[in-house]
Amino acid sequence: MTIATRTLSLTINDEAVGPIDVPETMMMQDFLYEYLNLTGSRMGCGQGICHACTVIVEKGDGSLEEMRTCITGAHWFAGRKVRTVEGHAKRDANGAITQLSPVQQAFIEHFSFQCGYCTPGFVTGATVLLDQLKRNPVRREALEGVISEALDRHICRCTGYVRYFEAVRDLVLRTPGLVKA
Amino acid sequence: MARKLLLAVLTVAFIGALAAGAVFLGLLERSVVSREIEQPLTAEQMKGLVKRGAYVAVAADCYACHVTKGGAPWAGGLPFETPFGTIYSTNISPDREHGIGAWTRAEFHRAVRDGVGKNGHLYPAMPYASYRKLTAGDVDAVYAYLMSREPMKVANRENHLPFPMNIRQGLTFWNLVNLSSGTGTEVAGRSEAWNRGRYLTDALAHCGECHTPRNLTMGMKESAYLQGAELEGVIAPDITKAGLTRMGFDPLVFASFMKSGISAQGAMTNQMFEVVHFSTQYLSPDDLAAMSAYLFDLAKLPERATPPAPPQPVAVSAETASSARSTYLAVCASCHGVEGQGIPHVVVPLATNASLRLADARNLNRVILSGIPAQRFPGLERMQPMPGFAAQLTDQEVADLSNWLRANWGGQKPSVTVDEVRRLR
Repeated sequence: MTIATRTLSLTINDEAVGPIDVPETMMMQDFLYEYLNLTGSRMGCGQGICHACTVIVEKGDGSLEEMRTCITGAHWFAGRKVRTVEGHAKRDANGAITQLSPVQQAFIEHFSFQCGYCTPGFVTGATVLLDQLKRNPVRREALEGVISEALDRHICRCTGYVRYFEAVRDLVLRTPGLVKA
Repeated sequence: MARKLLLAVLTVAFIGALAAGAVFLGLLERSVVSREIEQPLTAEQMKGLVKRGAYVAVAADCYACHVTKGGAPWAGGLPFETPFGTIYSTNISPDREHGIGAWTRAEFHRAVRDGVGKNGHLYPAMPYASYRKLTAGDVDAVYAYLMSREPMKVANRENHLPFPMNIRQGLTFWNLVNLSSGTGTEVAGRSEAWNRGRYLTDALAHCGECHTPRNLTMGMKESAYLQGAELEGVIAPDITKAGLTRMGFDPLVFASFMKSGISAQGAMTNQMFEVVHFSTQYLSPDDLAAMSAYLFDLAKLPERATPPAPPQPVAVSAETASSARSTYLAVCASCHGVEGQGIPHVVVPLATNASLRLADARNLNRVILSGIPAQRFPGLERMQPMPGFAAQLTDQEVADLSNWLRANWGGQKPSVTVDEVRRLR
C-alpha cells in the first residue's frame, strides 16, 4: 500500500519550504516534526483542545492568526506564511538566538511557566493578541477581559495561568499604542 | 336599495363585532378542566403524589424552560425570542408572591391545560396546546411535586412585546383557532405501548411543538404532524417513521439515542441536547420503548435491530469533489477521520451522520460555520467542541464541502449554493 502524496510549498519562519511531496492526510504538526525537525510546537491532546500546538499564520494584510497544527492538515498551509515558536526570537547568522521576542522575554521575567510544555502555545497566542491590540487598541478597563478571552483556550497544568496573565498585562501596558486612554 | 345594502353591511359588522367581543371576553373558550378539580387535594394526597410528579415533570421537561443557567431552581426567567418580541418563562416554585404558592389545584390545571393562568392568559411558548392532552392525574402529580419544592423569592421578568401582542386577553383568538377540544390520545385497537408512546410524544414530551411546522397563526399544522420545522435558524427534523428511517435510525437505536444523546447518527445538538440533558435520559426503559414504538408505528419495540440501508452516494462534479476533499483532509479529517468514522467517545462519525441525510442542508452548514460547544452526555460521555470555520473557509469552500459530504455519505443532491452559505454567516 502506498500513501497518496501531494506537493506542498509554503513559507516557514521567513524561509521558503518545498516543493516537497507530503502525504495528503498528514497533519501540520507531523510535517513540522518529521520533515523539518521543528519540534517546538507541542503535541498535547491531539484533539485541538489544549492549544499547545499552535502556530502563527501571517495573512495577506499582515495580520496574524493562530492555527492548531495537531488538527489541521499540512496542505491547508500551502502557499501560506507560517511562524512557529522557533521563529519568534532574533538570531545571528549562525542561527544562535540573540534576542528573545518581547512576549518570550516577559514570560521569563514573570517566571510564567514551570514545565514549559504549554509555553509555545502561550507565546503564539500572546503574540497574536499583541498584534490584534496594535490594530485595535482597547480601553484600559477592558484589558483584563480581553487577555482572558484571548488566552482562555490555552491550557496549562502547572503554574495556574496567573503569571502568564500578569506577564501579558505588563507587556501590553508598557508597549505604547495598545491601550486607549 | 342602497339603504338596504347599508343596513345589511351594518348588521354583518355588528354581528362580527359581537362575535369578536365574545371571543375576546373568553366566552367561547372551553376549559378541559373538569369541575371536580375545584376540590383541593388533601395534604395526604399531595404527599403521595410527589414522587410520581417528579417523573411526570421530567417527562414533560418543565425544568428546561423554568430555570436559567445558574439561576434559582424553578424560578423561571429564561428568555424566548419570538418573531413578535421577547417573553420570559415564569417562577413556578411555590413562592406565594412570585411563584405559584398561592395557586389552587384548579388554577394550576387551567394554566397547564387551558393556557389561562391565575393572572391571565399564558403565551403559547408554554406548550399548553400539547399539555391540554395530559391526564388530570398527571397534572395533579406535577402540582404536588412543584408545591413540595423550595419557594424561590425571584421576581418574574417583564415581557417585551409590542401592542397588540402585549394584551394577554388577545390569546383568546389564538386559542379559538389552535386549541383542540379533543384531549384524548388513546386509540382503540392499538397496543398499550403504542398508546403510551403517543401520550408521551403528544402530551408530555410535546414533541410537536418543535417538530410540527406552524401555520399562519403560529399554531401546529396538524396536516404536517411531526414532519419537521424550522426553529431559531435550524431544522428540527422530520421524526415521522419515514423521517427517522431516512436519518438512519431503527426503533432500537432511536430509543437508546433518546436516552444517551449519542449514536452512529451523531450527537444531540441545539435544543435537543437540553431535552436529553433534562428529560429523556431519565425516562424509564418502558417509556423510551413506547415512544420509539409509537413513532415507528409499531405495537412494541422489536427484539433485534433492523438498521435501514445506507443511502446511495450521489455524484458531484470533479471540481466540487477536489475542492471538498482538500478542505476535508485539511480541517475535518483529523477528528472525523479520513473515512468519516469519527473517534468513539470524542467525535461523532460523519459517514453515518443524520445531519448529512436531511433534505435541508442548513444544520450542517451552520455547524461548519459556527461549530458546536463541548457537550457532556449521560454516562460520562463527553463530545469535544467542534471549532467553527467561518474565518478559515470561503463561502465556495463551505458549499463544496457541504455538497460533497451530503452527496457522498448522505445520498443528497449537491444543491447547496454559495448564496445560501453567505446568508447563514
